[in-house]
Amino acid sequence: MATTVITGRDLSVTIATKNYNEQATSATLSGDVTIETYDTLYAKAYRSIDKQWTFDVEMLADWGAADSLCEALWTAAETAPNTTLAVSLTAVTGAVFAFNVLPIFPSVGGSSPDAQTVTLSFTVVGTPTETFS
Amino acid sequence: MTASSILTSVRTPLKTAIQGVAANTYDSVPESPIVPFAAIVPNTPYLEPSFLGKGNVKLKVNLVMTVGVAIYDNQSALDNIEKLVISILAAIPSGYEVGDISNPIPLNIGASEILACEIQLSTYYTQTN
Repeated sequence: MATTVITGRDLSVTIATKNYNEQATSATLSGDVTIETYDTLYAKAYRSIDKQWTFDVEMLADWGAADSLCEALWTAAETAPNTTLAVSLTAVTGAVFAFNVLPIFPSVGGSSPDAQTVTLSFTVVGTPTETFS
Repeated sequence: MTASSILTSVRTPLKTAIQGVAANTYDSVPESPIVPFAAIVPNTPYLEPSFLGKGNVKLKVNLVMTVGVAIYDNQSALDNIEKLVISILAAIPSGYEVGDISNPIPLNIGASEILACEIQLSTYYTQTN
């Protein structure tokens, strides 16, 4: 079997119907699984008791631009902080992950004279739904 | 719609912005620059793909602006290049990251010797059409 390589160029991210590919330099969905360990008389036993998913995005800031993603996120976090935003993350054609996140405020500013960047760490509500084809 | 290019979207606008402060400006490597001058040339790495997706080609473009002045005597040449660099920094448009400026060094171009230094610049470019 030939080695499969997929890269960040295969990724595609949509948050609340807005595509982030034009501004995003990194997008990562990761799950933190809590596993309890029990010492029994027979042997150790392990049990997965909880999962919390996180969606991290790094992007160039686009404040002031027409149809600004930063401004859309800010408005969502300000006006509807408890209303989830639908996210679609395509890892590569044939592997799509759909989930919901709560809006957060993007950071503002940066160091001179670099391009202003925004690092976002969204809390995923519930569990992602995967579509493999 | 005409296809965009790095020349028309990045290098020429930068050259136009500094035309008011540098007597001779070039948006590519000049064969024989006339002092005082500022020439916008590629840096290394030149083009950095850094965005998600394949729908559009978006790149970070790294440039060097080489600035040169006549070197009739050391003191005035250094003073002239400092003034020229500061004028250029004030004229660089928004959207360009300004990095470090190298120390001025004498360069031989053809039969003449000039004092030159380099301004590191970066910006982002999106290919359209």
